[in-house]
Amino acid sequence: MGGAPARPGPSSVSRLVVRDVAIAFGGVVALDGVDLELGAAEIRGVIGPNGAGKTTLLNVICGINPPDRGEITLDALPLVGLKPSVIAAHGLGRTFQATQLFRGMTVLENVMTGLHGRLDEGVLGAVFRSRRLCDAEAQAAARAREVLAFVGMEKFEERLATELSFGQQRVIEIARALISEPRVLLLDEPAVGLSLNRIVEVDSLMRRIRDERGVSILLIEHVIRLVMDVSDRITVLSHGRKIAEGRPEAIRIDAAVIEAYLGKDLHAGSPAP
Amino acid sequence: MRALAGRRNVLALAGLVLLVLPALANPYILYVANMALIYVILAVGLNVLLGYAGQFAFANAALFGIGAYATGLLQVRLGLSFWIAFPAAVVVTTLIGLVVALPALRLSGLYLALVTLAFAQLTQWLMLNWERVTFGAGGFKVPPLTFGPLPAALGLYYLSLVLAGLLVGGAWNTVRSGIGRALVAVRDSEVAAEALAIDLARYKAIAFSISALYAGVAGGLYSAILSFVAPEGFDLFQMVVQFSMVVVGGLGSVWGSVLGAGLLVTLQEALRAFKGGQEIAFGLVLMVCIVFLPDGIISLVKRRARGWEEPLRAPDRRA
Repeated sequence: MGGAPARPGPSSVSRLVVRDVAIAFGGVVALDGVDLELGAAEIRGVIGPNGAGKTTLLNVICGINPPDRGEITLDALPLVGLKPSVIAAHGLGRTFQATQLFRGMTVLENVMTGLHGRLDEGVLGAVFRSRRLCDAEAQAAARAREVLAFVGMEKFEERLATELSFGQQRVIEIARALISEPRVLLLDEPAVGLSLNRIVEVDSLMRRIRDERGVSILLIEHVIRLVMDVSDRITVLSHGRKIAEGRPEAIRIDAAVIEAYLGKDLHAGSPAP
Repeated sequence: MRALAGRRNVLALAGLVLLVLPALANPYILYVANMALIYVILAVGLNVLLGYAGQFAFANAALFGIGAYATGLLQVRLGLSFWIAFPAAVVVTTLIGLVVALPALRLSGLYLALVTLAFAQLTQWLMLNWERVTFGAGGFKVPPLTFGPLPAALGLYYLSLVLAGLLVGGAWNTVRSGIGRALVAVRDSEVAAEALAIDLARYKAIAFSISALYAGVAGGLYSAILSFVAPEGFDLFQMVVQFSMVVVGGLGSVWGSVLGAGLLVTLQEALRAFKGGQEIAFGLVLMVCIVFLPDGIISLVKRRARGWEEPLRAPDRRA
């Protein structure tokens, strides 16, 4: 790795480090040497035009698509080559662009399922419903209620997940990812399709997740206002490459970013917003 | 009345009736009850795989047959006693079920159905044509069982009752634990399950081995109750019968499968006199249930009586 000095960020500790990650699908390069360091308790926005490789970056980090080259570490643990379930057990939580709640479960059961990696029940304990298992189940339910209260959804615990509104399902999905106390949370467009009021709620929920739970968040989002408002730093991708990185104020006026979004000619003819 | 018909009371009553049944019933009724117990085991095991884990596999009839053949052949070919042959056959069936699970780790939906269907056909073919081992199409007789002073039919009935009780209870406990949630998670969204640290391969293997274990136990008991094993009992119609029990009772409901198996075995016996009546009745019941009671007969019970709640729900039909 050659003794590269640690880059200063909002925090000197980097939780998630992505270095020179590249992946191609059938000749189409989706990521082409992306670097990213997510600090402790940082909210990092990842933006870019459609097809920039944002969701691919999430899928590569969480193990669904192993990269062709590059390294990814979570608190110095190399993740490349591990199964998604193993990576999740190491403290990486995520949500999905199209909400993936379990349709056959209540809200409480959905959130309890998030505790799977931490639940030590054993097959025999389950079959004979041991005392230890009953205690573990009761604790799991209590923790699920605690997390539901944290996100403000405790009223809905007995409802079927599919009976809730789109925005509520989004929040339940975040609760389900939070219950296992991940160190890093990947959020894939949590605000897409939400009303303005809901977006404000998601904004404050993300800050509370960072501040009260110390979780680092990697946020992919198209709602630029939300990203600009909530992110500590922003990484901009375009055509699978990182074209800019920095504080929201700086990104807002970055020439390369404006060009990527608006095109060269347009940019040349109009002043920066 | 609604409170009296709660699950605890009904189960206690049913258990009591089943315990004293041999004193009240004639040998025929006892035989039918024993058959019902065997199908309860089959249906509950299949529901774990199909209703909870959502694996659309057609291997259960073949595994049922493998359990019966292994129990019988270990006695006839190797001279083992039933008490060794039966558990050994259950182990063999479970291991074969795990092998069937291997393609399921890569395939799903239609492709899994096709591969397991091929496995079922291959098993049928081996039963028919591997005559040096299986005795071919004519089948073979199994030595009659003895239970010390008890009449064989009575001993077998109580053995089936104890095993059915243990296996239904075990399945009920399993689906109420984190394992049940993990199975339903795999069914409802594989990608989300993985993101929650659920190992897909492990839970698919668990689901397949549970259903194979249950099919093995049922097969061993089946070979003993008939004292005879032949290929035709384990064909595609057997698979239809088991699917019907699970669907009519209620996908994703342990108690639904108990109910479905009991009802359909009774129906099958009631129609024994009418040639072709069984197939027609099965088809009708299945269609009526899918159209009017898609969550099975258990959904009626849950609506009418209190205390029948179960964790987790049936798979979403629109998905």
